[in-house]
Amino acid sequence: MLASIKSLALVALASTVAQAAVVTYDWNITYVNTNADGLFERRVIGVNGQFPPPAINVTLNDTLVINVINNLDQPTSLHSHGLFQTGNAQFDGPSMVTQCPIPPGANFTYTIPIEQHGTYWIHGHFGGQYVDGLRAPLIIHNLNETYKYDEEYTIALADWYHQEHSVMLEQYLSIFNPSGAEPVPESALINQMLDQKFNFVPGKTYRLRIINMSALAMFHFHIDGHEIEIIEVDGIDVERQKVSSFPITAAQRYSVLVTAKADTSMNYIIHADMDPAMFDVVPDELVLNITGTIVYNEASPLAPEELSQWEPFNDAELVPVVPLATQAPDQVFALTAAFSVLNDYSNKATFNDITYVMPKVPSLYTALSTGNLSSNPEVYGKYAHPMVLKHNDWVEIVINNDDPGNHPFHLHGHVFQIVGRGEGKYDPSSGPYPGYLNTTNPSRRDTVLVPSEENVAIRFQANNPGVWLFHCHIEWHLQAGLATTIIEAPEIMPSVLKVDPTHYEHCKALGIPFSGNAAGKEGLDLAGANLGPDPLPGTFTGKGIVALVFTIIAALLGLGTVIWYAREDDAQIASQIAQAKIAQEEETH
Amino acid sequence: MGSVFSAPIFFIMFRETTEAAIIVSVLLSFISQVIVDDPALYRRLRWHVWIGVAIGLIISLIIGGAFIAIWNTVAKNVFQTSEELWEGSFALIACIMITIMALAMLKSQDMQEKWRGKLSAQMDNIDTNQSMTNRSGKYALLILPMITVLREGLEAMIFVGGVTFETEAKSIPLAAITGLLAGALVGFLIYRGGSRLTLHRFFVASTCFLLLIAAGLFAKAIQAYEMDKWNKIVGGDADDAGSYDPRGNVWALSWGNPNDPNAGGYAFLNSILGWSNIASVGTITGYCVYWLGVIGAILFLKFKGKRAAAARRAEEPSAAYAQEKVAEKEI
Repeated sequence: MLASIKSLALVALASTVAQAAVVTYDWNITYVNTNADGLFERRVIGVNGQFPPPAINVTLNDTLVINVINNLDQPTSLHSHGLFQTGNAQFDGPSMVTQCPIPPGANFTYTIPIEQHGTYWIHGHFGGQYVDGLRAPLIIHNLNETYKYDEEYTIALADWYHQEHSVMLEQYLSIFNPSGAEPVPESALINQMLDQKFNFVPGKTYRLRIINMSALAMFHFHIDGHEIEIIEVDGIDVERQKVSSFPITAAQRYSVLVTAKADTSMNYIIHADMDPAMFDVVPDELVLNITGTIVYNEASPLAPEELSQWEPFNDAELVPVVPLATQAPDQVFALTAAFSVLNDYSNKATFNDITYVMPKVPSLYTALSTGNLSSNPEVYGKYAHPMVLKHNDWVEIVINNDDPGNHPFHLHGHVFQIVGRGEGKYDPSSGPYPGYLNTTNPSRRDTVLVPSEENVAIRFQANNPGVWLFHCHIEWHLQAGLATTIIEAPEIMPSVLKVDPTHYEHCKALGIPFSGNAAGKEGLDLAGANLGPDPLPGTFTGKGIVALVFTIIAALLGLGTVIWYAREDDAQIASQIAQAKIAQEEETH
Repeated sequence: MGSVFSAPIFFIMFRETTEAAIIVSVLLSFISQVIVDDPALYRRLRWHVWIGVAIGLIISLIIGGAFIAIWNTVAKNVFQTSEELWEGSFALIACIMITIMALAMLKSQDMQEKWRGKLSAQMDNIDTNQSMTNRSGKYALLILPMITVLREGLEAMIFVGGVTFETEAKSIPLAAITGLLAGALVGFLIYRGGSRLTLHRFFVASTCFLLLIAAGLFAKAIQAYEMDKWNKIVGGDADDAGSYDPRGNVWALSWGNPNDPNAGGYAFLNSILGWSNIASVGTITGYCVYWLGVIGAILFLKFKGKRAAAARRAEEPSAAYAQEKVAEKEI
């Protein structure tokens, strides 16, 4: 009896240990030529000679290992979007924030303990490489999923361009684009391929994991003839929310449950409609509404297409299944996002009039090498826009969108609570924030849309020491500088984070300093740090005053000449008058 | 203020009305000098002058006004597409016209003398032919002012037309009316025997103002051409967005925009001085070059005048000699 219980226990123990596997992916990052949208062949970035890169599948408590070999002609890095990287910030991925980029020809191994579950994605975070195709779904399964379903599909939506990102970026940031018009995509794809079909068996329940991997586009997702229920948002399981359609911005994820119909007489269209409000212009050739198919029977006809009606949707109303009460913030930041032409004459994005420029030393390495000064924001450089947080403080950020466009903001290393929404700009000096939502279990996610001329208040606890980028996830805007760097608990980072020396080797190979402040120097000597453009002065500069003086002198000289010319006539008239007077007097005498 | 009162229009109407008023006053004073013993004839001839002036004025207003209205509506619609290009060209045309007028005003400083000369020659004809009773001569004093005013009026309309393209429609009426009234006042003062010296200085001051306006227009024309070029590069209406070509920019102020509807003062400065919150190497150089050109033109006028005067003096000895001869003969 005892022996059987013991063996049962051993089997149980073995199975839990076996569940915590090390899942390894070898990613040889290369260029691939492809005609993904059937309209134009172009060079893209693929993995292992394939495009699109394969999805990554892991399970909660696994360790994800990605062996990256960079076979591009430029550096690269990978960011696992939405993963907390607790105590693991050096593998978060953004170039010059948590690491030097991986040099061409070099190897880099990302080792990531998986501490959460849900729908995520992995993408390049050097320049705009993810827009050139370096992106893939990252699905983290849970052995005990909150909701029951029979099967699941991943539907990864993305806008698609025909030109390489670096070429378009040059045009976007040039002085000849003062209005900051973002390049408009030429098409859009599901799972970076055409004609996606998803087989449905009558009576089964399906989980659809919807990811938006776009550079810019926002999609409205709906399925003809089927109701959908939202069950997950950005990796957070939520109470079922029935919707007919919902919007999904760049970098966001949703899971929905769909119940298959009872009969196989028809197939149905899945709609992903790009919202034209995101585009500066909508060319006639651009097909905004892309589709996939739910196939019950290959032979069945398509059900007649339904009229697209986009429902309004407030993701702040979603209720997380695992409740987390919010707490009064220890620190409140107000960040105002705006776009303007700065003194380098290109249209740049700013948070509180500061545009993000990468420092000379990755900010994480600065935090780890500046000792006591790591809590002083100055060492990170003004243009990295550092925000230093104390360990375990509750932090609130009010994001003011002072721009006509809608922006999705993403925080690395965390999910945050959406605790408030409001119109216009919130100024902390005017008093407490007025737009708090009345709830004890606020909605949580890692990428939130702040609509034009509105504000959103988010809250999280600084319980994850590391350096986390906070930025708009429209890739163009990140490049234009709409980012800040959150320096979380720098005082305990050295005890929590251990950076493998091979990371510093890559810095050396690229000639990038890997210790010291933002200028690569000791202490607070920031001479030589990367400086960003500043707002235009809007006043007279030296050359303006000189020019003004010249114009005044020219006008005075001209008018003087007129008067000089007129003097002779003046004198003539005066003498004529005098003569006439004399003549008159003579007459009267 | 610049948006309800167009200074160029004011000065043009003022100048043309003044000249017409001078003609009227010369004729009226001539009549009062010559017709001393026939009150009925005196009154009738005075009426002739006024009616002639009125008819001339009305016809020129109708023709000129129609021309301006048609030209404006047709032209403005046609030229919407390259708005800046056309605005620049019209500013340049206005600049040239105003400069010519300003310099002419300076040259013909003694309008009264000139008109006295012209009209006295005509009057002599009438007098010697005793055409007060003659049919054609009967209405000479009506036709003469009518034709003169008509010609002056049409000239004014053309000048105004040349300027209105780049003027807001609502700034025209007030300026035109006040210009007209001011010109009439000046003519009245002349008739009453106002000081010629003050009048002369008035005209010199008007010339100065007109040249300032024209200099501003020249700079505006250059700015419009540059803005058109920038619009074509950037693809869109950059001016509305406050965008400008950063290459060659000399100043770009966050205040002082003449197109700002809330700050009318800058629009006024723009119409008088050509002020703009954005200046480039092109506009500043153009402004200075304009004044250099004006200085050159005035110097040229001065030397031409001096040569002409010297030529007249060279002729005079022979005329004086001839007169002496005649006098000798008579003796």
